[in-house]
Amino acid sequence: MDNKDNVNPTIINPSDLPSRRRSAPTTKRVGLFDSLAPAYPSLAEPLSSPEASEASLSDDEEAEEIDEQEVYDLISTISDPEHPLSLGSLGVVKLEDIAILPPTSARSRISTVTVLVTPTTSACSLTTVIGLGVKVRLVNALPPRFRIDVRIKPGTSSTAGEVNKQLGDKERVAAAMENKSLVNVVNQMLATCE
Amino acid sequence: MPSLELLATCTPPCNTRTWLSAPHPHLPIIATACSDKTVRVYSLQNFQQQSTISGGHKRSIRSCAWKPNSKGESVLATGSFDASAGIWRRWEEGGGVRKPAEIDFTTGLAGGDGEEDEEDEWRFAVILDGHDSEIKSLAFAPTAPLLATCSRDKSVWIWEELEDDNFETVAVLQDHEGDVKCVAWHPKEELLASGSYDDNIRLWREDVDDWACCALLTGHEGTVWWVEFEDANNIYALGSSEDLNDTQKDYVDTRLKAGPRLISCSDDMTIRTWRHVPKDKPELPAGQIKTTSIWKNRDFEEEWVEEARLPQVHERPVYCVSWSRKTGRVASTGSDGKIVVYEERWRSTPDTKSNDASGDVQMAGGAPGPDMEDITAKKLSGSDGHKGGVTEWVVVAEAENTHDVFEVNHVIWAPRADKGKRFEDEEVLISTGDDGEVKVWTFDT
Repeated sequence: MDNKDNVNPTIINPSDLPSRRRSAPTTKRVGLFDSLAPAYPSLAEPLSSPEASEASLSDDEEAEEIDEQEVYDLISTISDPEHPLSLGSLGVVKLEDIAILPPTSARSRISTVTVLVTPTTSACSLTTVIGLGVKVRLVNALPPRFRIDVRIKPGTSSTAGEVNKQLGDKERVAAAMENKSLVNVVNQMLATCE
Repeated sequence: MPSLELLATCTPPCNTRTWLSAPHPHLPIIATACSDKTVRVYSLQNFQQQSTISGGHKRSIRSCAWKPNSKGESVLATGSFDASAGIWRRWEEGGGVRKPAEIDFTTGLAGGDGEEDEEDEWRFAVILDGHDSEIKSLAFAPTAPLLATCSRDKSVWIWEELEDDNFETVAVLQDHEGDVKCVAWHPKEELLASGSYDDNIRLWREDVDDWACCALLTGHEGTVWWVEFEDANNIYALGSSEDLNDTQKDYVDTRLKAGPRLISCSDDMTIRTWRHVPKDKPELPAGQIKTTSIWKNRDFEEEWVEEARLPQVHERPVYCVSWSRKTGRVASTGSDGKIVVYEERWRSTPDTKSNDASGDVQMAGGAPGPDMEDITAKKLSGSDGHKGGVTEWVVVAEAENTHDVFEVNHVIWAPRADKGKRFEDEEVLISTGDDGEVKVWTFDT
């Protein structure tokens, strides 16, 4: 965290960031996932209380479709580990770099979310932590029918291949989330999320 | 068309991710490695939880393996993200002399005061420390008292079991350039295979006194998640040798000389088989005296080639394959939540007389005509990556959403043991998923 090679990042004003004006008061996403222990039990509490999840299960099934904006809203408020700013403000995550692919066949129920992350620094370890924060946030916040691929935006980092491979390895990610110091860093990053 | 049918879900399920289930070598039970730091032992007769093993590890248990050929006592090895491996023992009824009670490190087990409870009690026998980071997999050798463990620290360790719960480190093998994800032993020889995050597979053997890498299998374009050798008798799964033509007979000979093949699956969504190419010993040039060192090196390194790719069905990383010891069928599973079953058959060519060769196998297929044409067409377009092979792999069953929307981490064939068993040697498929559930499937033809 000491070597800030990007001391003057471009900061976008939060009110200029793409967002959706919500008419419905339900800001908490409820999913099938909530009735199970979260994939990373070492992290903060689940998004909604267990009682709410029962009643709202049908809401989720009413296909309140999760779209790119929804995903963006989940991750844009993650704090950068280096600067006291959000990933959205720093342009680390951008709406146009999020893609959702629907199930590939009629029988499949699996959708894929791909998020391309633009690192602010060339430091590989920080880039990995940022990617990990985005991945963990989405794994915990989205229903389990989403497969989440977090990758470094091509052309923005020479170590993109290495970072992508780590972020794509479920075993490594699971083991990382049992590592206390990493968990603390990620928790701090996610503390600013609602 | 055959199908996979859900027979049962083991109860109670775990409420966190489960990684792998290992069937016992001869009892109708399985041990499931859970991320809640326990191992659950379920019965394959009634699918109920029989016991839990806990207290020995500080982090998720990623893998477990039963010691084969263990008399009177069950021995289970557990591999954990806490970088250690545990060895647990339990006396089985009717087996051997009881050892004096040892200090019990386990917590959370039902009270074991009475002697009648001692049979259910798992004893934590020894902890194997050494790896620097999470253990990903472990395996006991079938033909020697050896245990292999592998880890994110890029190494494979081989331990030899001596008397009284002493395990001695026999080798620390560090040739891989990334996490080692899996290890598997050859069924007949002391040959170990390992698959890695570095996209490679390595084979290891003892070279006089030291273990070393005797083959490097490259080709995969992503992490190799699982490797496994076929059963030594698998060649017979293709059917009797009476109706074979010459090409096919030659192939059988080649296979018998080469020995069991290796299968692997990867992040690149492919499943590949690899075959050993045994060396022909060349004639010695006249007058050549100093041959011993040359021979040793030549004999030690082995050549293995990629033989075939199974038809690609998975759309995301394939985490595990299982090669049935009874039927030679392969089952695979992965991130897409599918379980797919494949069979190897003689490839039909216009030259072979009536395509009944594949009828030897118990699969009663549908009408041969149109299906065969489809398969031929796929073959020509290279779906198995190897045109002109004598055998081909065919998908015989596929199940989707097997663990609801969750990823499936492991699948394995096991002998069927419940009341509905239909015939001798019937097998079930056991799948283990991120939903914490262990499911048992029948393969219905």
